[in-house]
Amino acid sequence: MQMPLTFWDISLWLAVTAIILLITAELISPYYGRTSLLIRKERLKNIALITAILFLITVAIRIFGIIIS
Amino acid sequence: MKDPTTKTDSGLKLLKVGKIVASIMLIMGALSFYISVFYASSILAFIGLGLTFWGSLLLYIAPSRYIKLELLNAVAVQNLTNIEKVIANMELNEKGIYLPPKYLKDFESSLIFIPSKTNYTLPEPEEIDEEKLYSKNPEGVFLTPPGLALLKLFEKELGTSFLRADLNYIQNYMPKLFIEDLEISENVEIDIEDNIVTIEITDHIFSEICWETRKMERTHKVIGCPLCSAIACALAKATGKPIIMLDEEINEGEKVTKIKYQILEG
Repeated sequence: MQMPLTFWDISLWLAVTAIILLITAELISPYYGRTSLLIRKERLKNIALITAILFLITVAIRIFGIIIS
Repeated sequence: MKDPTTKTDSGLKLLKVGKIVASIMLIMGALSFYISVFYASSILAFIGLGLTFWGSLLLYIAPSRYIKLELLNAVAVQNLTNIEKVIANMELNEKGIYLPPKYLKDFESSLIFIPSKTNYTLPEPEEIDEEKLYSKNPEGVFLTPPGLALLKLFEKELGTSFLRADLNYIQNYMPKLFIEDLEISENVEIDIEDNIVTIEITDHIFSEICWETRKMERTHKVIGCPLCSAIACALAKATGKPIIMLDEEINEGEKVTKIKYQILEG
């Protein structure tokens, strides 16, 4: 048994997911009058931000690793 | 008028289907990720991670409880019938005056005074009581505005009372409240000229209730629909002056409701 994904794989996946979520959250924002969508938009926005922050943390870890080495 | 419930029903069906799809995605994703560990397959792991994440996300952002718009309309319209009865029995034809907080014992509350004669003379503060129905000097009736509960909801969402606000605050924050926070309408425009406030609301969820209120001629003329009433209460609280609703126009084609209010001196 072996974990098939490396730290950098997850970092890349987080980056792609964060971009998709952030763009989606912006496009369906009620600010543009899209009030007929039956979803919790604040929750989507929060998840998008959390995913983006997680990606930035992986970037910070990478930078820290480069500096240390 | 087009039946708005059809749109809601299809939306609810879509939600149910969405929840089933999300659950399947979640199970398939977890399974795929579990298998990927045994076969050390990064492709399976990516598929598993993606399906699990999107499945749980779809479940998380789906609203847990919802009310059909037709239920909301049925409850709200029935209450307006009682107001119509009172106004019709008292033969009141004058515009209802939304009283500012200084006339009330409970500042956070709201009250409408409907005079029986054509003059905008307001009753003395001592005469006004939230528990009273009739006023003797000047003659008229005190009613609880049909939009009072909606006003409380506005204040709860804004996190402040309109007592601490002014017209600028309403002009700046009400569009955000209606569009982004409560998702009541697609657009709101507020225009203030001297003592006339004009509010244009595009495609709002109370259109059916407002349409039903129009059938009750006296209520529509004297008080307005619950949404108009809530805005009038907010204006009365924010300006500290009596407010009357001058006119309410509905443009069906453009789905725009235009409401005009007058700020009285008092």
